Amino acid sequence: MKQVIRATINGEARELAVEPYRSLLDVLRNEAGLTGTKKGCDVGDCGACTVILDGKPVNSCLVLGVEVKGCRIETIEGLQPGPDRLHPLQENFIKYGGAQCGFCTPGVIMMAKALLDENPDPTEAEIRFGLAGNICRCTGYTKIVEAIQATARQLGGRKGDA
Amino acid sequence: MKDLAVIGTSVERPDMPGKVTGHAMYAGDLSLPGMLHGKTKRSTIAHASIKRIDAARALALPGVRAVLTHENVPRVLHYGSPHPRSASVTRDQYILDTKVRYWGESVAAVAADSEEIAEEALDLIEVEYEALPAAFTVDQALRPDAPLIHDGRTGNLVVDPVLVKRGDIDRGFAEAALVIEGTYEMGRPTPAYMEPNVCVCQWDADGKLTAWISTQTPFMVRGILAEVLGVPYHKVRVLVDHMGGGFGAKQDLFQTEFLCALLARETRRPVRMEFTRKETFLGGRSRHPGTVWLKQGFRKDGSISARQALVTFNSGAYGSHGPGVTAVGTTALTSLFRCENVHLEGRCVYTNTPIAGAYRGYGVVQTYYALDIQMDEAAERLGIDPAELKLRNAVREGDLSPSGHAIVGHGLEECIRHGMAETGWPELRRRRRAPQGPVRRGWGMGCEMHGSSAYPGIKEQGNATVRMNEDGTVQLFTGTTGLGTGAHTALAQVVAEELGVRFEDVSVVHGDTDVVPWDIGAFASHTTYMGGRAAQMAAAEVKRALLERAADELEAAAGDLEVRQGVITVRGSDRRTTVREAIAPKKGIPSAHIVASATYRPTKSYSFAAHFVEVQVDTETGQIDVLQVVPVHELGKVIHPVAAAGQIEGGIQQGIGHTLTEDYVIDLTNGRSLNAGFVDYKMPLSMDMPPIRTIMLETAPDPGGPYGAKGVGEDPIIAIGPAIANAVYDAIGVRFRHYPITPEQVLQGLREKDSAK
Repeated sequence: MKQVIRATINGEARELAVEPYRSLLDVLRNEAGLTGTKKGCDVGDCGACTVILDGKPVNSCLVLGVEVKGCRIETIEGLQPGPDRLHPLQENFIKYGGAQCGFCTPGVIMMAKALLDENPDPTEAEIRFGLAGNICRCTGYTKIVEAIQATARQLGGRKGDA
Repeated sequence: MKDLAVIGTSVERPDMPGKVTGHAMYAGDLSLPGMLHGKTKRSTIAHASIKRIDAARALALPGVRAVLTHENVPRVLHYGSPHPRSASVTRDQYILDTKVRYWGESVAAVAADSEEIAEEALDLIEVEYEALPAAFTVDQALRPDAPLIHDGRTGNLVVDPVLVKRGDIDRGFAEAALVIEGTYEMGRPTPAYMEPNVCVCQWDADGKLTAWISTQTPFMVRGILAEVLGVPYHKVRVLVDHMGGGFGAKQDLFQTEFLCALLARETRRPVRMEFTRKETFLGGRSRHPGTVWLKQGFRKDGSISARQALVTFNSGAYGSHGPGVTAVGTTALTSLFRCENVHLEGRCVYTNTPIAGAYRGYGVVQTYYALDIQMDEAAERLGIDPAELKLRNAVREGDLSPSGHAIVGHGLEECIRHGMAETGWPELRRRRRAPQGPVRRGWGMGCEMHGSSAYPGIKEQGNATVRMNEDGTVQLFTGTTGLGTGAHTALAQVVAEELGVRFEDVSVVHGDTDVVPWDIGAFASHTTYMGGRAAQMAAAEVKRALLERAADELEAAAGDLEVRQGVITVRGSDRRTTVREAIAPKKGIPSAHIVASATYRPTKSYSFAAHFVEVQVDTETGQIDVLQVVPVHELGKVIHPVAAAGQIEGGIQQGIGHTLTEDYVIDLTNGRSLNAGFVDYKMPLSMDMPPIRTIMLETAPDPGGPYGAKGVGEDPIIAIGPAIANAVYDAIGVRFRHYPITPEQVLQGLREKDSAK
């Protein structure tokens, strides 16, 4: 039996009817129409489905949809500050080549956003530790780390919200 | 070469805004009205006949719309991978067979209203197996009394052995001052692309199939779908836009594509089928496990007098790319380090294990691992520095390449020299590390070469159509596929450069077999080299027509015109116009497109690399850490430096994984996969990856590639492996002749070394 849940997704109040066994990932992709969040493993190993739930990064495949009643969820689609503007993380992932196939990218960027929100001036080791749960198979991580470092510099130690 | 305006610049890749905002559409993001969800049932035994299969209970489950088994799908023997009629595949698969040949092979498929119902239905399909004796290793499969894995064959060889003979090895070995031989064993890494295999199929009322598939080879997939389903080619349309990696393996069909199309036809509704991560291991493709027995003779001066090898690849249950991998991997041993007397044999063997297929480096990863490590071994015994020994023997201009063509743009020497200078190699190797403390460090280097495109094994061609619109903007129509490497950006750069327009004024139309010209697919480091050259040729033709048009207006000869960044000038004059003005409609003259197409047939081109690596080995835990990598690549011409370097860094990541941690393990008592998931299949992640100082050389441009460019995709995964193994030897004096090299083996090796003292 579907349950109706209300949650704030990317700043917008949403009401969704969800099966109690559906993961937040499936709810986002199939019910909310937000397919930017990717399913790479569906068991919490790869981080491609990372979203920010009440300020904390989570693997959305490991959260049930019905658990997010009243919560605030940020996904990759909500990161742009305006229609023709990109978040500095997005700009720098483009500039530094932090994405290749792009499948892990939404999860990596959301994890980086959460990291910079909490620690606006991370060391390289802290960035690498922060990304330890995000598998990227294309880049070798070099350019991902560079893009996040550049963003931290650009934001001058301010919080990642830009 | 004249000043380049676009080539060599890391322009903003047009695929990137979609990827960083989540708006890029992958096949799995598609949802169609009335869409059903398909799932396959996988075997729980590695080798068996299906005595009985009963779908009645599954069909009775509410929400189940169709069930397919071997009893109601077309029985057409097909090539599981997409090069029909070429030497690189064997026709040995059915969509669903009456037998299973590996643990996890699909035996039935269901389409239902939801994934959950489809999964529930799978459990209701009853399958009765009659177990058959199985062969899980190459040794078991090659025994005279081995069970036959494919009926109607005389043994378990996928193809006749590949034999290569050049010169006279007996004479060569007789000349040798040092003869060295060894056996090298390679494990089973998998590509582990992030996007699980996925397809969506829909038929229209006119009997035309549209298939959205995450594939590297849409035209090949179209062909094989058409032939197996009995539909003419023009009634099959394959679409692929963004795809989440493939690394070679997404050239095959995985049973699912046929089943998805058949379920959609039977239900007259769109059907979506997506692998779980576990299925991506079970039903996906790995690199070929293999052994290389290698014997070489060296003269006193370090030159190689003879080389003999027996290469054996484990193909798993089906042929897939086994024949191609065997040919490419085996013949690669004719080259890299010069030797006139060569005798090679390559074999490819069926076993009852998951299917090995195409994967970045295509057989060469395995054979050059053996060859390069043996050079390191020989260097020590000859008393020559290993980099110096490889430099002396490096393949050069005019040498016969593995393909039998003379090498044109070589560059291995430059790669080795640059790397030696960059790392201060002679110093590094001279300094004798006093063995103090449990953690030891060492340096090693490895070499490789790899062909751009599969020519001449496959007589491929690059195709392109370039169209200039009436506002001066340009569209490139290409059949090449965007794996994520930035290839379409590189192609657009080539067109912009050749045509003399701004990069922003070029866009790329791709990913629709109904629209774009034929391409063999994104593999074999082919796209920039072949697709790029074809795009350059078509753009040159458009430019010729454009300048003829502009010549009238400028009252000059077309041959005196130059065009750059959208501005047309007359040489030696201040008369000028713009591309936009030249093509715009004039009074009484309607504007029209300028369109040109080109086909490029290649010669053989090779890229080269030398990788220098520092490792640290903890002699108490056996842990090996890669501390830094200096990859030096000779690429002819670098079109997009950030994208090219990114591919190199990613290849190194996969190569470190192959060498140290990645192995897809099969239980040799029953054929069952033991680590089909990312927790147990260990890949190098953010904290494992060392700093990489990438050096890209342009010393040997290829006359066949666009602006001299050669391929880059496969090269970086090849040299890193032996470089690590050689560095481990430098660190602890234990020689490993296999991958992956695990901590347990390091400890065991150290114990054996100590007890031998």
